[in-house]
Amino acid sequence: MKVKDTSTSSKIMNVIIYTVMVLSLLACLLPFVYMLALSLSTPQAIIQRKVSFWPVGWDTQAYRQIFTYPNFFRAYGNTLFYTIFGTFIALVMTILFAYPLSKTCLRGHKALTKMVVISMYFAGGMIPNYLLVSALNLTGTRLAMLIPFAINQFNLIILVNFFKALPIEIEEAALIDGLGYFRILPRIILPLSTAAIATIGLYYAVFFWNDWFNGLIYLNTRQYPVMLFLRNIVNGTMVLGNSSSASTDTASLSISVKSAVIITSTLPIIILYPFLQKYFVKGLTVGSIKG
Amino acid sequence: MRRKVDAAIGKTPFSKHFQRFWQLYVMLILPVAYFIIFKYLPMFGNVLAFRRFRPGMSLYGTEWVGFRYFKMFLGDTAFWQAFRNTITLSLLNLALTFPLPIIFAVLLNEVQHWAFKKIVQTVSYMPRFISTVVVIAIMGELFSPSSGLINNLRSTFGLGPIYFMNEPEYFRPLYIFSGAWQYTGWTAIIYLASISGINSELYEAAEIDGANRFQQVFSVTLPSILPTIMVMLILEVGRLLSLGFEKILLMYTPSNSAVSDIIDTLVYRVGLANQNYSYATAIGLFSGIIGVFLVAGANALSKRLTGDGIY
Repeated sequence: MKVKDTSTSSKIMNVIIYTVMVLSLLACLLPFVYMLALSLSTPQAIIQRKVSFWPVGWDTQAYRQIFTYPNFFRAYGNTLFYTIFGTFIALVMTILFAYPLSKTCLRGHKALTKMVVISMYFAGGMIPNYLLVSALNLTGTRLAMLIPFAINQFNLIILVNFFKALPIEIEEAALIDGLGYFRILPRIILPLSTAAIATIGLYYAVFFWNDWFNGLIYLNTRQYPVMLFLRNIVNGTMVLGNSSSASTDTASLSISVKSAVIITSTLPIIILYPFLQKYFVKGLTVGSIKG
Repeated sequence: MRRKVDAAIGKTPFSKHFQRFWQLYVMLILPVAYFIIFKYLPMFGNVLAFRRFRPGMSLYGTEWVGFRYFKMFLGDTAFWQAFRNTITLSLLNLALTFPLPIIFAVLLNEVQHWAFKKIVQTVSYMPRFISTVVVIAIMGELFSPSSGLINNLRSTFGLGPIYFMNEPEYFRPLYIFSGAWQYTGWTAIIYLASISGINSELYEAAEIDGANRFQQVFSVTLPSILPTIMVMLILEVGRLLSLGFEKILLMYTPSNSAVSDIIDTLVYRVGLANQNYSYATAIGLFSGIIGVFLVAGANALSKRLTGDGIY
C-alpha cells in the first residue's frame, strides 16, 4: 500500500513505533506472567521479595491446595453452569427477538424497535432491579443469574443488523416451497449466521463467566460463581480452609494461592481467546451500533 | 412475492397479513414478555423514589411522599461528596484515557511487519475480556506492600513500601491506569478500522509533495479519522457518569472512601446494604436522569456536527 521509505525520519519513526508496541505487548502479558510466577513460587521466596517474572523454588503446592478446597470446585462448577445455560438461554431469546425484528414489514415493527431503544436510555436502577428479582422469588435461586440477563440490547442490535443484511431470495424460495418461519429460522437462517451467533455468543459467555456482582446480591454462598469466590479471597471475606499449616505460613501462602485461583479462573479465556479472537472483534465491525 | 410487497406497504387486511406471518409473531411472545418484565417493570420501579417502601408489600411502594427523598439526599453531605467524586473521576478518566487508543491505532497502523502487527493486535484486545475481579486481584498483588513487584522495586532503591491500594491519593491513578490497560487495545479497533478506510492515494500524493512518514500522520491520517474521533468523543461524553461501578466497589476500602465513594457505590451501600430502598432509588434516578440528558445532548450534538446521530 505504501512505498517503503528509508529516510532518517522514517527510521526514527520506526524506533518509536516498535518501542511503543513492544512495551504495550509486555504491559498486556507481564501481569499474567507475574501471576503465574507467584503461583508457582514458594511462600518463602515471595516474602523475601525474590519473585519477579520467573517462579522461585518451583512449588506447585498452591495448586494442590486449591484443589483440596471443596468450595473452589463448587464455585468453578457453578460458573460453568451459569456460563453454559446463561449463554444458551440468552442466544435462544436474542435470536427469537432479532429474527422477527429484522422483518420491517411486521405490524408494530417500529414500536418494538422503539421499545428496545428506550430501554437502553432509561434503564431501571440497581434497586428496582433488585426488588423485581426478589418479588419474582428468584433470589437464592440459580435462575437469578440467568433469566434477568437473557437479552442484551447491544447484542440484539448486532444480530438484527446481521439478519437484515442476509439475502432475502433464499428465504423467499423456502417460503414458496411451503416452509414456515419456524422451519426457515433453524434450517436456513441460522446456518448462514454462524459467525454472528458465535460473536454474540462469546460476548454473552464472557459476561456470564466474569459476573460476580449479581451473585453477591442474589445468591447463597453455595451458589457463588468462581469470580465471587476469588473476590472473597482477595478482600479476606472468605478465609481459605482451616488447614493445619503454621500461622506464619498462611499469610504468604495465600499470595500464591490467590495467584493460583487467578490463573485457574482466567485460564479458559486465555486459552480459548487466540482461537476465537476473530469472532470477538467481529461484533464491533459487523454491527455498528445503529437502531 | 406480490403478497409480500402488499404487506410491506400495509394494503392487505390484517387477517391476511397475520395468516402469512403468524409464526414470526409467535416468536416475539417470549422476548417481548421478557422486555416488559425485566426492562420495563424496573424502569417503572423508579417510581419508588417518590413512594415509601414497606417490606413484603408492593415493589412500587405503598404511599406517595413526593420529593421527600430527593430533599433528604440533597441535604446529605455524603451525596455531595459522591457527586463530586463521580464528576472528578469521570473527567480525569476521559481526559487521560481518550487519546490513548488514537495514538495506539496510529502507531500500530505504521507497523510494517504483518505478523508482528497481528500479534500486537491479538494480545492488546485480550485484557478487555478479563474479569474486573481478576484485574483488581492482579493489581492488588502487583502493588502489595509486603511482596508486590512494584514495592520490591522500590525496596531495591532503598525506598519504603507504599500500600497503594489503600492510600486515597493512589485510588484515581490506579482506576484510570487499570482502565487504560484494559480498554486501549480494544477501543483502538474502531480507529484502526477508520484508518484502513483512508484512500491510499492521499498518502501517495503526500509523498510526492515530499511529506515524510511523520508528516503524513499529521496531514493525512489524523485529519481523515477526525470524524471518528468526534463520534467517539461524543459517545464518551454521553456515558460520562457511568463509571465502572463494579470495579470501584472492588477497589473500595474504608481508608480510600473519601475519593472512591461515587454515586453508584452510595446507592449500593444505602440501598442494598442498609435497605433504604426509596432513598437509594431517588439517588439512582437523579444520576440516571443526568445520564439521559448527557446521552441525548451528545446525540443531538453529533447530529448537528456530523449529520448523523449515534442512536
